[in-house]
Amino acid sequence: MKAVESMFPKARIPYGTWGSSYFPAWQTSALSEVNIGQFAGEAMASILGKRKVPAKNLEYLIIGSTIPFHWKFWNAPLIASCLGHRIPGYHMEQACATGLSSVIIAGSEVNSGSYDTVGVLTFDRTSDSPVGVFPERRSYRRTEALVDVWDNFGFDPSTGGGMIATAGIAARKYKIDRSEVDELTFLRYKQYFEAKHSGFLNRVLFPFEILNVQGRLSGKIDDDFGVRQITLQALKDMRELDTCVTAGGQTHASDGMATVLVTSPEKAKELSQKPEIDIQFIAKVDIRTLPGLMPEAPGFAVKKLLQRTGLTMDDMVVVKNHNPFAVNDAIFAKTMNYDWRKMNNTGCSLVWGHPQAPTLTRTLIESLEEAVDLGGGYVLIFGCAAGDVGTAAIFKVS
Amino acid sequence: MWVLLLFLKFPKKDGGTDMIHQMRASTLQTLGLGSVLEIFQNGKLPVTADELVDQVFGQPGHRGSLVISGANGIVGAGKAMQLGSRLEPYGVPIIALDFPGVSDGMAKQYPGLVAAFGTGNANKIMGNIIKYSYDGKGLPEALSAHNPRFLLEAIPEILDIKKEHYKLFRSKFPDIDIWSVTSGFPGSALGVGIAHPAFPHEINKIWEIVEPEPSPSSQLLWALGLIPMPVGDNWSFVLDVLFCGLTNAGTRFSEVTNMPFWKTDKYIRKYLGPNPFRAHDAIGAAGANFLSWSCLHHLSEHYGELFTPSSTFDEKKESGQNWYPPDHFRPVVDWSMNSDEHEEFNAWILGALFQMTSLMIHENRSHLSQMNLIGELCAQFSKGILAVIRRLGAEDARRLVEAYHKLDPLAAKKAWYPEVFDRIDTPEWQQLYVNAEHDGNVGVISINRESFNSDVNTELNRAIDWLISAGIENVIVSGDFHLSTQMTGADTTDFFPAVEDVTKGIDLSYSWSRTARRLNDVFKTSVGVINGKRCLGGYLELMMHCHYLVAEENAGLGMPEVTLPVIPGMEGCHWPFRKVSPEKYPNLLRLLLTGKSVKAKDSVGWLTDFAGPLEEVIKTAWKIASGADHGLKRREVVKENLKDVTKELPGLEDTDDPFLEQARKAIIGCIQDSCDSSLPEAISIQATVSGNFMTTSLFKKGVIGSAYTKTWKV
Repeated sequence: MKAVESMFPKARIPYGTWGSSYFPAWQTSALSEVNIGQFAGEAMASILGKRKVPAKNLEYLIIGSTIPFHWKFWNAPLIASCLGHRIPGYHMEQACATGLSSVIIAGSEVNSGSYDTVGVLTFDRTSDSPVGVFPERRSYRRTEALVDVWDNFGFDPSTGGGMIATAGIAARKYKIDRSEVDELTFLRYKQYFEAKHSGFLNRVLFPFEILNVQGRLSGKIDDDFGVRQITLQALKDMRELDTCVTAGGQTHASDGMATVLVTSPEKAKELSQKPEIDIQFIAKVDIRTLPGLMPEAPGFAVKKLLQRTGLTMDDMVVVKNHNPFAVNDAIFAKTMNYDWRKMNNTGCSLVWGHPQAPTLTRTLIESLEEAVDLGGGYVLIFGCAAGDVGTAAIFKVS
Repeated sequence: MWVLLLFLKFPKKDGGTDMIHQMRASTLQTLGLGSVLEIFQNGKLPVTADELVDQVFGQPGHRGSLVISGANGIVGAGKAMQLGSRLEPYGVPIIALDFPGVSDGMAKQYPGLVAAFGTGNANKIMGNIIKYSYDGKGLPEALSAHNPRFLLEAIPEILDIKKEHYKLFRSKFPDIDIWSVTSGFPGSALGVGIAHPAFPHEINKIWEIVEPEPSPSSQLLWALGLIPMPVGDNWSFVLDVLFCGLTNAGTRFSEVTNMPFWKTDKYIRKYLGPNPFRAHDAIGAAGANFLSWSCLHHLSEHYGELFTPSSTFDEKKESGQNWYPPDHFRPVVDWSMNSDEHEEFNAWILGALFQMTSLMIHENRSHLSQMNLIGELCAQFSKGILAVIRRLGAEDARRLVEAYHKLDPLAAKKAWYPEVFDRIDTPEWQQLYVNAEHDGNVGVISINRESFNSDVNTELNRAIDWLISAGIENVIVSGDFHLSTQMTGADTTDFFPAVEDVTKGIDLSYSWSRTARRLNDVFKTSVGVINGKRCLGGYLELMMHCHYLVAEENAGLGMPEVTLPVIPGMEGCHWPFRKVSPEKYPNLLRLLLTGKSVKAKDSVGWLTDFAGPLEEVIKTAWKIASGADHGLKRREVVKENLKDVTKELPGLEDTDDPFLEQARKAIIGCIQDSCDSSLPEAISIQATVSGNFMTTSLFKKGVIGSAYTKTWKV
């Protein structure tokens, strides 16, 4: 493994202290009916409990969420109370890059010496999106009502286009072939179900029982509800919504949470069940591409990251991305001259859904777990985010 | 078979001695009141309230008063009601002393008083309470006119203030007796006696008493129907060690596992009975958190880490916040435990509790039966902690404490006495609920647990074996005249395992019925004595198996099973029918099908054989058991099938309650089946019907089934 300087030499991710909920598709589970912030806090306490990490170890909490939740004003301290440990905290939000950015900020906090143990907790509920009412005197309607999830998905105010349009535009720019996208999508489903059936997902995902207000069982969150096996032919038969974009070739909105700890090296050894595993931050960049070309942004971010670190794609033992559109992977492969078959081995957000903030957190967790299985190495995480942004980071597992 | 533990010599009226053999000492003896057998021998209770009121407060015409300082606090106000209602008939005024300007705590008690005694009596009791304000520095001049004879101090838990308070009283009333209700200070620190009461103070009868020798004052509490329990002079009290210690153990478990307090609470309730966090919230978290923390703080200073308040407790003491989340944050995520986590739970909770128990036994804080029952009667333990340890066995109990020490190594350094469990096989441990005594001719079995459970069943069998081994043929079965003031029936938590497993219900019913039959089968004469306020359900079924049943005339006797519903499991559906002529069947059917109680004096001839004032009951029971002339005819049990048991009860009022209707049908079915069989067959029939019923949806929707769902399905 090439030696590369770490961006946060005093920060670590303790192995095996992470966890994620399953991501049930929007409106398919009991998560549709809960305060997702409260759920996330309680779920994090549960995950840490199963990981044998008393919440009392946490000194600071960085929450990441993109969709307003009930009592959002109270922010991370409120979520910390739901977690059962009254600590201060901070709220991070950067659309679909929120998960990765939250982890990086936690690394920065620890590296600076402010804290030894910082919790990262990302969550979102796309179901029954809140509706914001914005008095706007300059608006011809005087007052604008905005359905937070769907109105934002459908309209980028800086370009006037929707998310799905960026996929079509980028696919046309890179002359992506529909059949390649279908085959790629089919492989992604295959990868996910293989990982699921192998038991891999059981190591990172935690089932939860959700209570109603009377304290009775409201529903179990024990699967990525809405994800089902699909045939290549079925993908090929799907109607194209935009160039190379079909219902099967794009992700779906979902609900969920994911959590990671970031600590000092000493604390990582104390908290991890396998203290011999060392996980370091190497580097992270964000870039912004031209208007309406969001799917090409991740490739550019990765390029820049590799240039900065001196690493190559061949140095990466795990490559995994947030790919809301299958064309993202096809474009990345073209941009980087990389075989898309070599990435997303344990599944990806194209398949298991996109609850926004926790998406890249789960991506990271799965990647680190996979890297440990492979004996360590560099882990490349990347993805796109609203506003034609690309984000990418490298971690080192040894 | 039991080794005779005690051979106590009691003075006889003629100057000689009777040798009394006991399985273990009676708890009454800790109060200096002799044994239960002696009550029957003497034909009366050892002391009366009249004579003791005279001793403590002076003769009529010169009666002194009882002063309660801090009378508007939770303890002071509660005890003003409890003692005021009992002392008012004796003309002992209650002087309620408190600071001016404090809110009127006693006024808050008034509705409860009305509910318990009716408006007229409540007003009478309140009319006997005289309120005085004082500034804490000097006593009101007018106080002298009331001749204060006794001070019950219930002021805040600050040692210097308390001592100053006593000084103030003693300087003005040198002969006054003083008891503190302190929540933790020992008598040696306070310099006065202690009567530590249990919550809720207006109704809980338990008092932990610290005094060098049993005094007329503590005996008076007993004579007034309360339950004083002498305890050692140590920091904190049995109840507080158990309750505060359990709460602290719960916080530690929550801290290491992240399990929220509400869920830890539910597991504690499932496995032990109390829900300590909910209890703190219900009492009022701000005050309760402080008191528990304070108790733990003092205990930790003497006994170390075992009691050190957790960091959570420190926070809750400061914030006064509830342990359960507020309504707008009712929990979203449920929690469960796998087998490893169960073990961890047991280590943190039971391990710590067992160590605390070892400490209290080592310090000889109390008679073991009392120590065991304090948890049940005051802290909602479904089984006393000693009974839990006993069931587990000494070795496993020690192992659990050691497992706890692996998690909390500092706790092992102090206050751990594993050797106390070496005596787990002695009668003091083995007969926590049931004692037996005899004088060579008559045996007395006394039961101190108000609800009948498997532990009582086992101990009762051992008591019977012990008497038989001593050649005793005549026996009296009664309450213990101390810890048990009534017999409420079966402990329905013992039915919970039967909900999912029909064989458990059948086995339970059969086993308990066999025990009951022994009272009929193995003695030449057996006398059931109902000396408390009521005898219901399973206990009534037990007692009706005695050859004679005598009862205090106002005791309520009933079979409330139909209201729960559950099928009587100890032969209540056929045994009493076999002892009466057919014209009495409607009385029994009414008892079984309405669930309503009957006064003992109205049950003579068909349920009881004698009812009268308590002293007459005691004398009659002794006459029967000792073979003296008693004039009662023994009602024999018909062994053959009863063919003509009424299938319907004429005049039974209709009910709109379909559950009650179904329950009646089920019980009638059991009556028919068990009566229409021979006595040897009937035991199995009744047990099978009863056990089967506990798996039905009707049972599950009822009181017991709902409690099962609420407490066990967590």
